Amino acid sequence: MTHERTAELPSAADHGTVLQKPVDRRLALKILAGGVAAGAQVLSACAPLSATTDEEREIRLLAWREYIKGNYRFMTEAERAETIARLERLAELKRGEDVTIQSTGALPGVVFGYAFNISKCKGFRRCVEACINENNLDRRAATQYIRIFEMEDGVIDFDHADATFQHEVPAEGHFYIGTQCFQCADPPCVKVCPVGATWQEPDGITVIDYDWCIGCRYCVAACPYWARRFNWSAPEVPLEEVNPNQHYLGNRARKTGVVEKCTFCIHRTRQGRLPACAEACPTGARVFGNLLDPDSEIRWVLANKRVFRLKEDLETEPRFWYFTD
Amino acid sequence: MSQTRVAVTALFLVAALTATGCSERSDSARATRPPGADTLRSPAELAAAAINATRQPGALTTVPAAPVERWTGPGNQSFEVATRTSEEEAGHARRFGAITLQTALRARPLGQYPCTSCHLGRKVVMAEKRIADAHQNVQPVHPKQTGALCSTCHAADDVELLALENGKRVTLDESYRLCAQCHFAQADAWAHGAHGKRLDGWQGRRVVMVCPDCHDPHQPTLQPRIPFRAPHLERPRGHDQ
Repeated sequence: MTHERTAELPSAADHGTVLQKPVDRRLALKILAGGVAAGAQVLSACAPLSATTDEEREIRLLAWREYIKGNYRFMTEAERAETIARLERLAELKRGEDVTIQSTGALPGVVFGYAFNISKCKGFRRCVEACINENNLDRRAATQYIRIFEMEDGVIDFDHADATFQHEVPAEGHFYIGTQCFQCADPPCVKVCPVGATWQEPDGITVIDYDWCIGCRYCVAACPYWARRFNWSAPEVPLEEVNPNQHYLGNRARKTGVVEKCTFCIHRTRQGRLPACAEACPTGARVFGNLLDPDSEIRWVLANKRVFRLKEDLETEPRFWYFTD
Repeated sequence: MSQTRVAVTALFLVAALTATGCSERSDSARATRPPGADTLRSPAELAAAAINATRQPGALTTVPAAPVERWTGPGNQSFEVATRTSEEEAGHARRFGAITLQTALRARPLGQYPCTSCHLGRKVVMAEKRIADAHQNVQPVHPKQTGALCSTCHAADDVELLALENGKRVTLDESYRLCAQCHFAQADAWAHGAHGKRLDGWQGRRVVMVCPDCHDPHQPTLQPRIPFRAPHLERPRGHDQ
């Protein structure tokens, strides 16, 4: 082991002997720097190497690329298409789901609004059932976006309302009032997000990029309407119950430690369909439509019925009105 | 007492009728529609048909057809009623100002329809006590509450049709016109979309369910039922999660 010191860089021909040479500090630093630079470049390629099967290798590669992608709001159309292709492939590889993820944008000239008839609602919770099935909500944690409160006639008091009623409805002397995300025009949840993972779309729907959310739950605390839900564990949906019609900003698979919420069924409403809750309601208590269309049903309700909103004094401007017959 | 209620109801109906001023189709109104009516399409209707053809499955496929009739409905504005037909489903449309509204068909899915499969053209004697014999599934709560008889709504001389208070006849598909004679506030809200349910999406063509799709005409109040499962909340009255 009495090799001479050398200042020459190791050539390709004798690189095999490099490690056996006692190198000086300068050479060592060069080798180290080169190694770091090369390592950073090949990291994504190296990641799958420890996997045993092709599928595992592909999953790791896709997962790594998903990890380094940007915020959905600032992606180009091509980047959106790429991430959607990756997410669809991952859903197939990881869970065996054959899903279609949309990136449908907001329709021009459309701002969605919702009206809820508290004279009609009978507390059947069919909306809750439809919402769970439509939005792939976690079956294990039994997440529900919609709350139906049972209140005694005469006063709207959420502090003394019962959201867990489980008896034959409608109960005598009670009425029912449902809450969900109200898609505020001035949403406090968006203001508090420290990373810009949640924002308001042009059609008024406040959405979340689940891959950008860091799970700090500031938005959960900021929402005055208890509309946001946090995933303490990865949502579990039985394979046969998965709704394959998904939207990137809506009902696609969520993961551990991210917040989710009602999006007025963004994957349906942007295609002209009604939200699942409105479609499922057996009493016709739910009216949904375009606030910018003067001929829409919701505009007629707002103009001709007695309407109110929850906590109007907060000036969050919810796009969700309650009305009576 | 019962007679008083009948009299009050009759007065009520007459008043409603005078206010709404119905002008109805002739007695020849039947479930069968003129087959060649498709030729009456306007460019706008053709465009609507093209839009309909691209709609989601499950939406009704309707082809605009047939002449438009005048009908002054609930509220003070007049609007038009159009009869439409298609291969599978037929619908009705009426225009209320700028709103065009189509209704889901009612008669086809009914179990005991057509009535003439039993009532072979004979005049039916509608006696309350004889309902139990042939129509055991009918619980006539609504007529009893309002003091009405079978013949208040059903045409005794043509059992497949409904009898409006002005003597005109409509098919079961147009039962909303019968209901609107008394429930004009509900009909007004229904025509504008605040009552009832829309069948297809929130935009474009409005196809709505008609009254008996939700309300059993003989027992119109929705029956109580057990709700879907409650949320798992640690604090039963709490709100978060």
